[in-house]
Amino acid sequence: MVDTRPFLPVSSHAGSDPTGPSENRRKPMKLQLSIFFVLLTVGFFAALLTSNNGSDNGFVKENEHGSLASPSSEKQLRPVSRGPAVGVSEKSNRLFAKDNENQLAYPWNNSMLSWQRTAFHFQPEKNWMNDPNGPLFYKGWYHFFYQYNPHAAVWGDIVWGHAVSKDLIHWLHLPLAMVADQWYDKNGVWTGSATILPDGKVVMLYTGSTTENVQVQNLAYPADHSDPLLINWVKYSGNPVLVPPPGILDKDFRDPTTAWLTSEGKWRITIGSKINKTGIALVYDTKDFINYELLDGILHAVPGTGMWECVDFFPVSKTEENGLDTSVNGPSVKHVVKASLDDDRHDYYSIGTYHEKNGTWIPDEPKIDVGIGLRYDYGIYYAAKTFYDQNKNRRVLWGWIGESDSEAADMQKGWASVQSIPRTILFDKKTGTHLLQWPVEEIESLRLKSYEFNQVKVQAGSVVPLDVGPATQLDIIAEFEIDNEALEKTTGSNVTFSCSSSGGTVERGALGPFGLLVLADDSLSEQTPVYFYIAKGSDGKLKTFFCNDQSRSSVASDVNKQIYGNLVPVLEGEKLSLRVLVDHSIVESFAQGGRTVITSRVYPTKAIYGAAKLFLFNNATEASVSASLRIWQMNSAFIRPYPNDKESQ
Amino acid sequence: MTKIISLFILEAVFCFTFFTVSYSDINLIQTTCKKTPFYDLCVLTLKSDPRSSTADVSGLARIVADSVKAKAIATLNQISALLKSVKDPTLEKALEGCIVSYNTIIQADIPVAIDAIEKNNPKFAVQSATDAGNEAQACENSFAEKPSNSPIFSGNKAVHDLSVVLQSIASLLL
Repeated sequence: MVDTRPFLPVSSHAGSDPTGPSENRRKPMKLQLSIFFVLLTVGFFAALLTSNNGSDNGFVKENEHGSLASPSSEKQLRPVSRGPAVGVSEKSNRLFAKDNENQLAYPWNNSMLSWQRTAFHFQPEKNWMNDPNGPLFYKGWYHFFYQYNPHAAVWGDIVWGHAVSKDLIHWLHLPLAMVADQWYDKNGVWTGSATILPDGKVVMLYTGSTTENVQVQNLAYPADHSDPLLINWVKYSGNPVLVPPPGILDKDFRDPTTAWLTSEGKWRITIGSKINKTGIALVYDTKDFINYELLDGILHAVPGTGMWECVDFFPVSKTEENGLDTSVNGPSVKHVVKASLDDDRHDYYSIGTYHEKNGTWIPDEPKIDVGIGLRYDYGIYYAAKTFYDQNKNRRVLWGWIGESDSEAADMQKGWASVQSIPRTILFDKKTGTHLLQWPVEEIESLRLKSYEFNQVKVQAGSVVPLDVGPATQLDIIAEFEIDNEALEKTTGSNVTFSCSSSGGTVERGALGPFGLLVLADDSLSEQTPVYFYIAKGSDGKLKTFFCNDQSRSSVASDVNKQIYGNLVPVLEGEKLSLRVLVDHSIVESFAQGGRTVITSRVYPTKAIYGAAKLFLFNNATEASVSASLRIWQMNSAFIRPYPNDKESQ
Repeated sequence: MTKIISLFILEAVFCFTFFTVSYSDINLIQTTCKKTPFYDLCVLTLKSDPRSSTADVSGLARIVADSVKAKAIATLNQISALLKSVKDPTLEKALEGCIVSYNTIIQADIPVAIDAIEKNNPKFAVQSATDAGNEAQACENSFAEKPSNSPIFSGNKAVHDLSVVLQSIASLLL
């Protein structure tokens, strides 16, 4: 007999079933229903309690991303930054000028857009490009591969583009080297590096994103080693050769480096990754590029830096002015670890010591460790990669320069991204902490007519035009001397300065800003200053900053208006020196022989074609400066498809 | 008796499972949305999509991306309708510019963001989301009648704010 004693009093129901058996059944059902509702109530209370906690802490990050106080009345949407992600501290410089004076939302016509294409920087004929891949010198040709989207001017469908050159400047496009035709790279033929073996053969290691979106490493090699153009490539039949090891996520394992020899005669590579928010570099040894052993330790790690993409590891000579093969080691050698940080889209490097026995590396100055110290470039520059150029005994650096305009404009013009001019890399003996980058000397072959200016005096608060003819393709070398008296007399202060949080060139200091105005029109309604700003501390010490101000580079409102730059060490007895390459929508600037470098993309609407001019300026309040310059008109590099009927793209 | 007790136990287990599962989903939505500047908008958008109950952060990003696209399409339709009857040439120019912006959002920004999230290369999703917000901003900026709002202000604001939410969530995947 069922015990129908209820937990809750049985109530009489209207419309209850008069039949006997149902009544018997209803009592246990009512019991269970009541229990169900009790549990429901308990559950609701629990949910209520927790959701109360949630909504009270409703997170609105103040003033950073368009939080409108009164949604209906205010016109502005606060602009979305194109810079670092939320959570990384953002400078107060707005991306779009707030008051919209002189700002045009849709100024772009085909004339302006076609002007943006560069004359002597590497870029494919159309569509999207990103990371440099597998650069090398082989049988008389420099080879350059790159992440490419054959279908659109935005990222996607990534394959390997390919081009060759005799001199790192005049490039000829070749057919795609590798496409996404295997399960292990179906979702992306991503970044990789080349290693040249002692017998001269080439192997390529690259990351593939599999059909399951797992990141794996694959081996590829030229189909025909006797073809100097290395047109066809073969993927190893046993790919992938590396899969994510235990403890590493499928999505955090990419961009293998060039290999270097260990004292045991094995090859060693490093691959960036992360564990939680600590960026790391894994180390593998191999004899045949097919079988690998993961070392117990890691090359290095830095907490808080996030995923390390495009890790690079290479030796630099402490004493000689040449590059070193990646396998070189010894007492007069330092090693550089470089990482591209996913979190902030910047490339960082650090100089230190490599301990070969256990495959570790220690920075010379932990305060400027990888990811928290020096950057290759303080502008728009990412995914950089070096290679040892055995042809000229130098280490050469490539870097991807993205666009900083709107994607709408990119779609309209049909392309996006360029590469920097390749740069040599040397250890800066004078500071011991920096690397020096300098455009490869072959770029000088593009120099045409030159102009010289000697000791041009630029008074405080003035602008001096430099008549050099057309000013969109220039190589500028300049030296500045600042009035010594002003340097001594100026009172120092405790105020800290940084390029990015300053007001740009309209913010006048006693000893700066002064420098060049590139891509400027006659009325200076559009101008891109590249300049120095000297700050004097309250202890009398001088600090020199090197900046590039985009805030008035264009009246278009949909381009990046940030101010880039950083401290540049200026040593006793050094003059302030500057080199600037102007090539339509890209400006590459080098201070103190390449100790601090800034690359920016510039999109004027008026300062284009014949209307673009060059000026010296000095917006300091106290100091006058004098400048000596040599300026060259630059020829085009005529980058085009390889002239051969067979090599049609 | 035993039948009742076993049924009771079954129901208890069911209820507790139901509540712990939905408790933790609400938790993920809340913790994720707290990391965006538009908490309420974020929560509302996610909760109104049934996929959110079983989504990880990647899935939540996908939901927001879909929502940006939907709002963008709606706004684009608004713009097209306005263009049909517009007389003022300045207004017409602004609307035409907005068509370009919204086409970019719908055909480039959101597809790239979704692709990047799926392919575990979230920085391109962050960049595309940022661009989508900028496109909406550019559209709003192009209307001459400052300081009052454009005729499509609410569409622009919705797309902008949701793009910021997408940018924030995609950043969590870095």
